[in-house]
Amino acid sequence: MRRLEYIGTTAAQGFWRNPVMSVASTFTVGLMLLLFAFFLATDRGLQAAVGVLESKVELALFLEDDARVSDVLALRARIEADPAVSRVDYITKEQAMARLLDIAARRPDIQIIDTSSNPLQNSLEIKLAHAQDAPRVAAALRQEVGNGVVSDIVDNPQVVDKLLTVTRVLSIGGLAVLAMMLIVALFVIVNTIRIAVHARRDEIEIMKLVGATDWFVRWPFILEGMLVGALGAVAATVVVLIAAGPVMNAMVGFIEILPLSFGTTFVWQLVGSVFALALAVGGGGAMLSVRAHLAK
Amino acid sequence: MVAILGRGNELITLDGVSKRYPNGTDALRDVDLEIDSGDFVFLVGSSGAGKSSLIRLLIREELPSSGRVWVDGQDVVRMRRSAVPKLRRRVGVVFQDFKLLPRKTVTENVSFALLVTGHSGEEAREETERALALVGLSQRREHFPDQLSGGEKQRTAIARALVSRPKILIADEPTGNLDPVTSWEIIKLLVRVNELGTTLLMATHNAEIVNALRRRVVHLDHGMVVRDEREGQYAA
Repeated sequence: MRRLEYIGTTAAQGFWRNPVMSVASTFTVGLMLLLFAFFLATDRGLQAAVGVLESKVELALFLEDDARVSDVLALRARIEADPAVSRVDYITKEQAMARLLDIAARRPDIQIIDTSSNPLQNSLEIKLAHAQDAPRVAAALRQEVGNGVVSDIVDNPQVVDKLLTVTRVLSIGGLAVLAMMLIVALFVIVNTIRIAVHARRDEIEIMKLVGATDWFVRWPFILEGMLVGALGAVAATVVVLIAAGPVMNAMVGFIEILPLSFGTTFVWQLVGSVFALALAVGGGGAMLSVRAHLAK
Repeated sequence: MVAILGRGNELITLDGVSKRYPNGTDALRDVDLEIDSGDFVFLVGSSGAGKSSLIRLLIREELPSSGRVWVDGQDVVRMRRSAVPKLRRRVGVVFQDFKLLPRKTVTENVSFALLVTGHSGEEAREETERALALVGLSQRREHFPDQLSGGEKQRTAIARALVSRPKILIADEPTGNLDPVTSWEIIKLLVRVNELGTTLLMATHNAEIVNALRRRVVHLDHGMVVRDEREGQYAA
């Protein structure tokens, strides 16, 4: 108990006796963690968006009005044989019209004036298992256009493609920025602890002289580093919780109709990850600093 | 080999110890030395003769370039790094510059040595009282170092070195910063500590003290033991 008390008190003293450096490093760590939290949340949001879009990925083959049923069934069988295809639905022109009327009823900006004739076509709607396969499947089916069965093909996976590209760029760019911030945060913590070690160099010398173990010398500094990390994590978490609502709304408005909502499990995962990284960076940086001093 | 051939009462043994620093300076050259339990030994020699280097080897602040060092039956050269703290708890050291922590009181400076080596607060309090009584500083226990005289500072340092009841007390020029009267007070204290059973190794320049006490004198010159006399004098 006495040992823990000594280690705890010394760590807290170290923090408060050098307030400028302590606050500066807490701020830097907090900023790094904020970036980390933003990166995690964005990554998770984009992944969710890709998931949602992927489940909606469709290719639509519009069929000639005079296409023979046997040819349509043969085409459908060929498409279903592709492992990338999860489902093929035959939609009659009447079903398509009903759908259109249903959409129009819910949207004031669309008005169907004349419903006496049906200009829509029968179609095959193809759902894919993975968005990545869309270009290949679409290219293969495009060759069917003009063969007497398929009149046109419509695909919407470009959106998914763009989103996948954005996710990739954000992942790589985010990781690069995060790595740089991590190095900066480590550098600041190492220097903060180095100053603390320097301020207590006489004490450390005497501790070693009277037979204190290296760990007993190290722990107060490691704890001080972890304290810097934890305070940075608290600051980052507070900012994230305050900013989460408005930022989320802006994102939903920006990306449009994507159901971006994070469950409480994700929030706890996020907070847990932020604190884990904070303690690791704080403790690790302090350990590097004090190890270098003890090795002298 | 010396340890095996020895009489069995040695607390410190150096066997063919040499120390060469990276800049090429030979601090110690082929030093053989045995110090028995309960001895009072003066280590004399001019500055740079190797006294401080020898002391640093005994507490394993440094390793010899060659040779073997045993302290209290332990091979200091081959011991693991993790065993060094335990060695240092058995060897108390005091220095010319006292090495006291200015923001701690006399009591805190002394008990610090026990608290940082894992002793309980109760234990630290009792042992600190005992050590302060031994050095005659009980009345000054709540004073800070800058409120103490030079002699009192050195007595605080001696109390800190003794608080963990070491077998050996090493004093590196303990009177170097003190006036003659205070120096004698410190020497009397060290003699008393030795009489109570602690082996004493004292590095000094003070010929008057060495000559007056007539204890064992080991004379180092250019890193070599040039004289080792049972009841020696500072100069031959």
